[in-house]
Amino acid sequence: MNEGLYLEGMSLLDFARGPALRWAVIIFVIGIVWRLTALLLASRKQLEPTKGSATSGGIKTLLTRSAPAHELEKNIVFQHYSGYAWHIGMFVVLLFFAPHMLFFKDILGFGWPTLPNLFITFFSVVTVGILLVLLARRLMNPVLRQISTLDDYISWLIAFLPFLTGLMAFTHITFGMRYETVLALHFLSVCLLLVWFPFGKLMHAIFIWPSRYKVGAAFARRGVRA
Amino acid sequence: MAASKTVGDVLRAHGVSRRGFMKFCAATASMMALPPSMVSAVAAAIEKARRPSVIWLPFQECTGCTESLTRSHTPTVEGLIFDAISLDYHHTLQAAAGQRAEDAMHQAMEENYGNYLLLVDGSIPTEEYESHSCTNGHSHLSMLKEAAAGAAAIVSVGTCAAYGGIPKANPNPTKARGVQDLITDKAIINVPGCPPVPTVITGVLAHYLTFGTIPELDPLGRPMAFFGQNIHDRCYRRPFYERGQFAETFDDEGAKKGYCLYKLGCKGPVTYNACATLKWNEGTSWPVQSGHGCLGCSEPDFWDKGSFYRPLSAAYWGDAKTVGIGAAAGAAAGLAAAALARGKQKKAQQEEKA
Amino acid sequence: MSGLSGIGVKVESGTERPAEVFGNALPLLHEIRHALARLVEAGEPTVIDVQSIPMGPGDMQRLLDALGEGEVRAEIEALGKTVIRESRYSGVWIVEHMSGSGGVAGRFVEITWVPSLLQAQREDVEAGLEALVDALASAGN
Repeated sequence: MNEGLYLEGMSLLDFARGPALRWAVIIFVIGIVWRLTALLLASRKQLEPTKGSATSGGIKTLLTRSAPAHELEKNIVFQHYSGYAWHIGMFVVLLFFAPHMLFFKDILGFGWPTLPNLFITFFSVVTVGILLVLLARRLMNPVLRQISTLDDYISWLIAFLPFLTGLMAFTHITFGMRYETVLALHFLSVCLLLVWFPFGKLMHAIFIWPSRYKVGAAFARRGVRA
Repeated sequence: MAASKTVGDVLRAHGVSRRGFMKFCAATASMMALPPSMVSAVAAAIEKARRPSVIWLPFQECTGCTESLTRSHTPTVEGLIFDAISLDYHHTLQAAAGQRAEDAMHQAMEENYGNYLLLVDGSIPTEEYESHSCTNGHSHLSMLKEAAAGAAAIVSVGTCAAYGGIPKANPNPTKARGVQDLITDKAIINVPGCPPVPTVITGVLAHYLTFGTIPELDPLGRPMAFFGQNIHDRCYRRPFYERGQFAETFDDEGAKKGYCLYKLGCKGPVTYNACATLKWNEGTSWPVQSGHGCLGCSEPDFWDKGSFYRPLSAAYWGDAKTVGIGAAAGAAAGLAAAALARGKQKKAQQEEKA
Repeated sequence: MSGLSGIGVKVESGTERPAEVFGNALPLLHEIRHALARLVEAGEPTVIDVQSIPMGPGDMQRLLDALGEGEVRAEIEALGKTVIRESRYSGVWIVEHMSGSGGVAGRFVEITWVPSLLQAQREDVEAGLEALVDALASAGN
């Protein structure tokens, strides 16, 4: 469990990419499997007569819910497109930056082609910009402000920190801190994300799939549009 | 012991012309990473600088640092630096040996008390292992403490003296320590590297010679002039990193074309040294140019940072077994939660019926 | 020892590898151009320490090839050998301090009318005058 890391000489960076990450991964795995299992096993007795195919409705809904309902489109157009934009930006940076790819390759055993750093910088900056705009919107829009919970703000911060620390490390704009410290903070922000992930709003990344299916299946069974 | 002469006097006594002296100053300024515009300031300072006495104490070391120094550049310029400073004791380099050499060292220390420069290479074993590294019956720990007391400043040459180096690597069988862990009341300049770039060693000495002061140091006690930039930022292969062109193995097309070595474990981004600019063997080459990733040899505990060939971003996430156990624990918790939920559901339904 | 024979050996003759451009030669030439312009307009000399600039393999040679050879070549024997040559661009001098083992210890590009090291130094001239006076005196005027 401790190949290559010697406690006596451990710096913050060693801690961040060593024990901290290990424990974060463990908590992440336990949390995800726990919540997913609990969700999948949750049930409801089916009392109504079947009017349509549940499975095909479920699968269809996996895709259809990727676009907003026609009736709601105009209201949420800004949220919809900016949401997609920053998610796409996030995946591009997360998966196609060479050092990140090597991180995953170490875990998965296989790698993939990556993008030049120029693209990654562009996507990171755009993503950070959108995230900041969305936070401002959440704080200024009266409806959003009323319905926002602590989870919303914490999840925003936890998603934002890896980008902030990553950009600081990459550009060496460290506000007086040592580069290694900022790199350690980047790792620690990811550890924080892993620990929070199963227990907050971020879990939507995994929940939407069984969730969409279940809702779609239930509605399809009743013969209504999901 | 001739420590009262100025460096200018020494050079003239060697028959060095003014032209030769200016050449010496230009090379020295270059060695200190100073711009050519400062050569006249360097010349003026060196002219008047008093010739310091230097004691070099080798401790638990492999002699690589001394070797590196004696291989450095120009016998003319580097040799001049050492003629300009009076190297009063170096038991590897000096001709004298035995008790008389020790006596000479003590005499130099007494005569220049408070003013000599102490150079150390090699780590120092401590506690119950103190005796594992000795010279002439004295443990190196005791020698260090005695010599440090009268030193104007201490230069820890090499990663072993600076941070403990290879003797300190896991499991540190001699409880070895670097100088800065043992001496806390003197100015210490760390010149790490395994070995340090020879020009860096002489550059630091040249700075002390010229200005009589400690150069500006970074948070790890290393001169900013040589250790202020990381390898990654000065590497000539950086454009390949930016473009995403990497060598995947040591003999593939990318490696032959000189692509970035990040995927092969290069520790350049977190290593600070002058290898990328000053290079080795009189500017011939350096590890990356020769096709091998940087080992990070000027950083503390670099022997214990995992494989030299593991990419820097491949962190220690655990192993499949641990993840499996975690997943099993999660599943158990999930089952328990689901059972609880269903139990509650059933109770609610029963209550509703009632 | 059996594993050693399994290692492939490729012998490369001293032929040129296809040039991968690392890029420092060109910016340096531009810097020299600007310095030469300053010399012409303001009489201001410049010294560039090219040995301290990170160069990829072949970069230094590319720079030196671009600068080429001019009309003047001087060898100085002071504290080891120094070679000063004018490049093909008058006013751009290459000053190379040789190390004892034949390599180059320091290399500077000086953009000036005459490199300072080539000129006679005042202290040396004064010492020379004294020496000449003494020599003539002992030779009986």
